[in-house]
Amino acid sequence: MLKRFRLEEPESTNEACELLARFGESAKVYAGGTELLLAMKEGLVDYERLVNIKKLGLNQIKRDNGTIHIGALCTHRQLETAPDLQRALPALVKLERNVANVRVRQAGTLGGNLCFAEPHADPGTLLIALGAKIIAEKGASKREIAAEDFFVDAYETQLAADELLTEIHVPVPPAHCGVEYLKFGYLERPSVGVAIALTARDGKKSVGDIKIAVGCAGPAPKRVAEAEALLRGKSTEEAIRSLPRAGELAGRAAQAISDLHGSQEYKEHIVGVLLKRAFQSALSQC
Amino acid sequence: MQFQKDVEIRAPREKVWNFIWDVDRFISCLPGCKDAKTIEAGKRYSATMVEKVGPFKVEFPTTIEVLETEKLTRIKAQAAGTDNKISSRLKVELDVNLTGEGETTFLSFVAGVDIVGKLAVLGHGIIKRKADQVLEEFTQAVKQRLEGDS
Repeated sequence: MLKRFRLEEPESTNEACELLARFGESAKVYAGGTELLLAMKEGLVDYERLVNIKKLGLNQIKRDNGTIHIGALCTHRQLETAPDLQRALPALVKLERNVANVRVRQAGTLGGNLCFAEPHADPGTLLIALGAKIIAEKGASKREIAAEDFFVDAYETQLAADELLTEIHVPVPPAHCGVEYLKFGYLERPSVGVAIALTARDGKKSVGDIKIAVGCAGPAPKRVAEAEALLRGKSTEEAIRSLPRAGELAGRAAQAISDLHGSQEYKEHIVGVLLKRAFQSALSQC
Repeated sequence: MQFQKDVEIRAPREKVWNFIWDVDRFISCLPGCKDAKTIEAGKRYSATMVEKVGPFKVEFPTTIEVLETEKLTRIKAQAAGTDNKISSRLKVELDVNLTGEGETTFLSFVAGVDIVGKLAVLGHGIIKRKADQVLEEFTQAVKQRLEGDS
């Protein structure tokens, strides 16, 4: 049963940050509540105050030059149905369409998903491959955190307790760039997720820039620079030959944890399989 | 969940053995362990284990019972505690083994850890990883304290 708590209703990000600073560990940001309220009902966390940020207007999707600005309070449902996003970031739309179930997508927010940093969450992995930036505000100060640096560990991020995630900036992939996120898992929680964003050159004869990220298998999503280096700048044929090795590197980088969803070795294998498929799919989009 | 940590310590076995029985110093090496008390010297102790994974905090008031000892060689102990706030229970079976000669001691911790209750919602893998981190930090802290003393 949910214990009593006080709902704070700040009217600005500044006020929300002040409340978080003043009440410290006894207060928590309340966005969609899909993870937080469940944890509170179970008695796993206990907060005297929830700082409701739903009225702060952080639910806009805007395009500014080559970057999509996504408000932290955009729900998964909003993202899966946004026409502008469908044109600019179809891979993100596809990912959002497959997050949990429609009830979760209707209430859960992208910002909340990132901040809760549940290991079996999809968006972080793709945002790393897309080179997204997380915008964190505290009073008048604002900082940008690269998505690949945002996740520290399971349920832990770079955000300070009195900082608020306000926006996610996602660069629109350039021409001849393909993006794919593939996941594998039972029920609604993925146990392995792999994202690739790659640019093809010379009419798909070679691989230009490439970003690879793995998530869900380990404590937090990670970029796999070693696997990228193996494929970047190579002829497509050579890159395809190197995919098994890249898959091994990505499997290890995932820091896969043995659990009911599979053993460490099994998850590492699946990372390799998904990486190969994601590469081929991303290449076909270029 | 089974864990094993082995560490080589540049200190004679007797010094390591005495350190283990100096409860305050030994327990201070265990991250998140506080309020260590001796209930019956050499047999029963109590302490509180506090740990955190992201926003999830657990606090297990724990009773530690020494089941078997073999001087300078082995200690077998069992610890059990309950966090009533999140209805979770912790049980640890610990085997501490000392080998080596002269100025070198090989210290081995073999721990069987069971956690049941709502905490399990975090997932077996996450809990196992945290427990492994705690044991690794503990082992390294014991080594540093003992080698630092010499």
